[in-house]
Amino acid sequence: MKILAVLAWLVAIGTSPRITPLLAACYFALLVGVTILARLPVGAVLLRAAGVLPFSATFAVISIAAGDAARAEALIAKSYLSASAVLILAGTTPLPKLLRGLESLGVPRFFTLVVQFLYRYLFTISEQAQHMRMAALARGSQSRRGRRASPRFRAASGAVATLFARSQARAESIHGAMLARGFTGRMEPLAAPSPRAADALFLAVGVLAAAALRFLPGAVR
Amino acid sequence: MEEGHYIRYSGWNSIAGRAGGTHLTIVLPWWPVHIPDGFLSAPVWLGLDLMAPPAVVLVARRAQREFEGARAPLLGVMGAFVFAAQMVNFPVGIGTSGHLLGGALLAITLGPAAACVVMTAILAIQAFVFQDGGILALGANTWNMAVVGVLAGYLPYRFWGGGKWRRVAVFSAAAISVMAAAVMALAELLASGIAMPRSIVGVSVALFVISAVLEGAITVAVVEGIERLSPRLIRPAAPERSWALTGLGVAAVVLASCGVLVASTNPDGIWRLAGQLGIAARATSLIRAPLADYHAGWLGASWAAKAAAGLAGLVLAGGVCLALGAAAGRKRGR
Repeated sequence: MKILAVLAWLVAIGTSPRITPLLAACYFALLVGVTILARLPVGAVLLRAAGVLPFSATFAVISIAAGDAARAEALIAKSYLSASAVLILAGTTPLPKLLRGLESLGVPRFFTLVVQFLYRYLFTISEQAQHMRMAALARGSQSRRGRRASPRFRAASGAVATLFARSQARAESIHGAMLARGFTGRMEPLAAPSPRAADALFLAVGVLAAAALRFLPGAVR
Repeated sequence: MEEGHYIRYSGWNSIAGRAGGTHLTIVLPWWPVHIPDGFLSAPVWLGLDLMAPPAVVLVARRAQREFEGARAPLLGVMGAFVFAAQMVNFPVGIGTSGHLLGGALLAITLGPAAACVVMTAILAIQAFVFQDGGILALGANTWNMAVVGVLAGYLPYRFWGGGKWRRVAVFSAAAISVMAAAVMALAELLASGIAMPRSIVGVSVALFVISAVLEGAITVAVVEGIERLSPRLIRPAAPERSWALTGLGVAAVVLASCGVLVASTNPDGIWRLAGQLGIAARATSLIRAPLADYHAGWLGASWAAKAAAGLAGLVLAGGVCLALGAAAGRKRGR
């Protein structure tokens, strides 16, 4: 449900022809309101969404240099607002529920399974990579200011190759373990997600707000 | 809010990893990239959102039949591997270091079908969890990196990876994969009307070339490392090279890249060349049709779009030929 609301939001933002600062402020205020409702830390959310800004800022500068200033502010505003919306979605929905929502929208189940496993082992393997890095540092490979790049390059590629082999071995053993536990390729959810009235209300409000912000400026003008 | 806490921790890690101590990363903000929301115009992202899922399904189904659900853990773990591998610093001297993108590596080791699915999963996670790339733009990003990137990373290896040209094949596979994905992204941005003066486009393409070379070198090194550890490479390349294919491939890549380079000096020549490429692209595959239509609508800065479409069209055509050849070979083999 939330996914649909966010989608409507994103579409509204994405298709707005011009974003005046006032309009952007309205979007922003609504987003902050939702953030507070969702009991997320507002400051952290705003900061995380700013991660998209370096990319947008570069293109904004380019656009201004090419004479298209309106597009520049549109770029920054749209990307920031969109990123914030997705961030709120991600911050309020645990991944399995998010994926189930996607499944109900038509995403094939195999694919969401892959994503779930990816997420599950993401931190495991990242930590393994960091362990390897620690071990290498402890054995005296300086990460900076080494005299020649080539041995460090080869060391890094060896590390990645080892990580690859270990990941594949780990994957095989996980596969075997799951088969031994009777995994048939489907993960049934514990509780079937049933759309509640609150969800429908949220969706309605979200879509209405997005539509209002999208179409009203055009109508008023 | 355990979940949120985890997300924040890993997100920071990922960002820190990507900015890991190189001014190269800062200089390349639009390096083969995840396009955020708000950049692409409606026809572009909508069209690509419609094009991407069938393409993914096509690539996934065509090359590998046995995708039962039980293989999901394998693909998920390899996706996690790519994530971790992307954070590894590869120093290349003069204070810079590169990072692995991974599309070609995946294609060479897991095969194009698995690579496509894994890359798509990675892009989905990056979009939803790390907000690296927009949701509406997910179709575009998927097309760029999971379809075009994977195919472009696989085909050179498939055709020329046997025998003594193996290193070159791996290098070119990785390099072309990065170039194709990046040029497609650039084309989509241009086609969405983002004004970019020629000089900036030239600089971008130059940066893409640098990334491509880096990716090629890193991939070669990693592939050789894997081979030394355990020759797990699925899909050994074709034992005999077809010279016709080699010639065709080289000519195609040269033609398509000329479209990008020459455009900065002679727009008129490019219109003709791009027109030919565009028409050729239209003739080869139905999937290309939406993109070809866009080029009819845009005048002006769409030369890069056409060249990119030409390149992607060739990649797709190559993929179709490969699949047909594989199917024919299988029939003959039985």
